[in-house]
Amino acid sequence: MDFSLTEEQEMFRGHIRKMLDKFGGTQIAREMIDDNPQSLKKVYTTLAELGCSGINIPEEYGGMDLEALDLVPTFEEMGRSLVPGLFMETSALAVPTLKKYATEEQKQHNLPAIASGEKWISFAALEPFNDFSPAGIHCTLVQQDGQYVLNGTKTLVPEAELADAFLVLVRTNEEDQEDGLSLVLIDQTEDMKIEKQSSFDESKHVSKVEFQNFIIEENQIIGELDKGWTQLQEGLLYFNAALSSYIVGAMEQVVQMANEYAKIREQFGQAIGRFQAIKHSIVNMKVNLEIARSLSHYANWVVDTDESDREATVYSARTYATEKFIEVSAHNIQIHGGIGFTEEIDCHLYVKRARYYDQYVGSTPFYQEKVVASLGW
Amino acid sequence: MDFSFTKKEEKFRTELRTWLEANLPEGWLEGKRDLPEDLDEYSRVLRAWQHTLYEGGWAAIAWPKEYGGRGASLMEEIIYHQEMVRVKAPPLINYIGIHMVGPTLIDIGTDEQKERYLKKILTGEEIWCQGYSEPGAGSDLTGLKTRAVKDGDHWLINGQKVWTSFGHVADKCFLLTRTSTHPEKKHRGITVFMMDMHQPGVETLPIVQMDGHSEFNEVYMTDAVATDADIVGQVDSGWHVLIALMLHERTGIGAELFTLEKQFNDTVELAQQYKVNGKPLIENPAIRQKLASFYARVRGSLLNYYKNLTTTIKNGQPGAETSIDKLVVTELNQALSAFAVEIQGHQGVLVDKDAVADPKWQHLFLASFGQTIGGGTSEVQRNTIGERVLGLPKDMGR
Ligand SMILES: Cc1cc2nc3c(=O)[nH]c(=O)nc-3n(C[C@H](O)[C@H](O)[C@H](O)COP(=O)(O)OP(=O)(O)OC[C@H]3O[C@@H](n4cnc5c(N)ncnc54)[C@H](O)[C@@H]3O)c2cc1C
Repeated sequence: MDFSLTEEQEMFRGHIRKMLDKFGGTQIAREMIDDNPQSLKKVYTTLAELGCSGINIPEEYGGMDLEALDLVPTFEEMGRSLVPGLFMETSALAVPTLKKYATEEQKQHNLPAIASGEKWISFAALEPFNDFSPAGIHCTLVQQDGQYVLNGTKTLVPEAELADAFLVLVRTNEEDQEDGLSLVLIDQTEDMKIEKQSSFDESKHVSKVEFQNFIIEENQIIGELDKGWTQLQEGLLYFNAALSSYIVGAMEQVVQMANEYAKIREQFGQAIGRFQAIKHSIVNMKVNLEIARSLSHYANWVVDTDESDREATVYSARTYATEKFIEVSAHNIQIHGGIGFTEEIDCHLYVKRARYYDQYVGSTPFYQEKVVASLGW
Repeated sequence: MDFSFTKKEEKFRTELRTWLEANLPEGWLEGKRDLPEDLDEYSRVLRAWQHTLYEGGWAAIAWPKEYGGRGASLMEEIIYHQEMVRVKAPPLINYIGIHMVGPTLIDIGTDEQKERYLKKILTGEEIWCQGYSEPGAGSDLTGLKTRAVKDGDHWLINGQKVWTSFGHVADKCFLLTRTSTHPEKKHRGITVFMMDMHQPGVETLPIVQMDGHSEFNEVYMTDAVATDADIVGQVDSGWHVLIALMLHERTGIGAELFTLEKQFNDTVELAQQYKVNGKPLIENPAIRQKLASFYARVRGSLLNYYKNLTTTIKNGQPGAETSIDKLVVTELNQALSAFAVEIQGHQGVLVDKDAVADPKWQHLFLASFGQTIGGGTSEVQRNTIGERVLGLPKDMGR
């Protein structure tokens, strides 16, 4: 029994951290607020050079053929600095989905490009006034004269302006409300209508993407037609395990910020960390962080095994992480006092990201229901 | 990452399982698990169980072989706890003797003390209690007032202890006393005695707990007697003895976590059986969400315990993170048992034979309030984590 990451995995973390520190940590996210993605693009390139983008891609497609757990240090470190971008959508959603369901031709077209860092994939699922569920998907893909025509609007598509391709969830069958959906992979083209949306997490760009009589080819459909939702669940396991890691990294930074500040900030002639109201609040944050980390490490291990609690653990990790991320990042502001409420200090960046991820590709009740269902209660 | 057990560990599990199946009290595995209400009877039954464990070689598996243990590894201890929880084994009446006093004596006791006490701990012949807390010394044990004064060739002990678990059945007490009148530091001048509970100057009065039971007691000492041979470690160095003792609490929290996991599964079952408006509660989305949330917390706590265990195995000794485990398991236990009572609606207040579901829920709910206090309150655990894990400054006055 050994419940820890290996020395190599921890060493790898060291490289990623050093690299992100060189970029100034949250500076990468802050530049996105100013609509300047230059650092982010360089980070992508460096991550690819370090091999991160090929970690879970088979060797025959230019990757390292490792497991989800080997991506954990990268995700945790990215979360620590709130690095935006499409690394998670690409490596933890598109890659597992492609590996499992894509045709050989589709794999050849995508996996080597992803491994080398030339291709980043965004995920377009949500639609205006709808939730993330089969009934919420109305973008239609219909067959016309041997071609497929796509119509509809996707909202909150992450970093659309930087995406080389989009994994899009579309309705292909009106009859089948449980599924009847399909996954299509669309390379970004000039004639796509992308419009940036304003959100309070300005360091994470989101866009509206409109498809009007947009033509796609049959070979852009991933996996089986009308079975997109079912297939997506497999990808979501990997994605949510990864998301929990990213959040653990972010929480770790939040706890560290609060802890360091409580040691140096003085009031009434003593460090505020001496006051139990503050001390215990930070301890609660730390406890939440450690539980989230344990759940998330296990989740990333279990996705690649066939343990019976695979789904339950992954979705528990996700819901626990998203809920506690909101809580700890809020406490962090309180502990910082007035300066915590300013733009200058990083506290607010974490609160905003916490809220963003809480609802991203499914809410807490959505995943809690999946936990219950997977356990057969 | 490796969650598998070695062949040797699996063999150990099978061996224990087979032994338990053959040796548990009659009818126990089939669900006949009532323990006698009468105190003497209760104590007799549990001492007998302790003796059965001893005879099978299962009384103190972590002790070195030469002292009657099995020299069990940390993982074997974990397996031991898992199996005991699985069969809902009878409570260990000599918990304090087996898990605390014995290992401490093995560590720092004299040869005579080992000879005199260890075997009787194993067999259940001598049951131990811990006399630390006093009316004015709880979280801050250095406030203790019980005095031991040298009088010729023996010591006279006077004072009062409180909340002494097992005091009513104990033969021996691991007793914290003040021996120096002018301690320059509060931690100095404390001495640990192994006190005989059956002597004239010692009186034990049960305290009725909020759950109606009396598992802890007041202990009054009036010119109680002890000798130099009863001192653990050195005179005035009782604080070090306490610290040595605490290091032996290697896996106890694990046992509580496995029990918690079991209780969580029972809660799910309860929600499946209990009906509201004709429908099983589990079909109610709010209940499902809460159960899912508990599932995450219970799993997370257990996994976190494994993570800390891995660190302990690697470093050879537990770190301050183990306070996280104690804090989490007790608070979660409180929340979970409250939930199990709450979902029974108004009928949740019914107890014992009138309880609508398994009456253990009402008992667990009430008992859970002792868990977040005993063994160091949640607040004190938070101080420990804040100061020793996070490096925050100590409270004023400490
Ligand atoms: C079920 C049970 C079994 C027990 N068994 C034994 C036993 O076998 N032997 C034995 O010696 N004792 C035993 N105890 C006693 C137990 O160790 C004490 O009750 C405990 O340490 C708290 O001490 P106290 O009751 O004096 O509370 P106090 O120390 O007076 O605490 C009262 C409140 O003040 C808070 N507080 C105290 N100090 C601080 C601080 N520095 N910072 C923040 N908050 C603080 C506490 O958290 C608590 O909320 C047992 C208690 C229980 C409930």
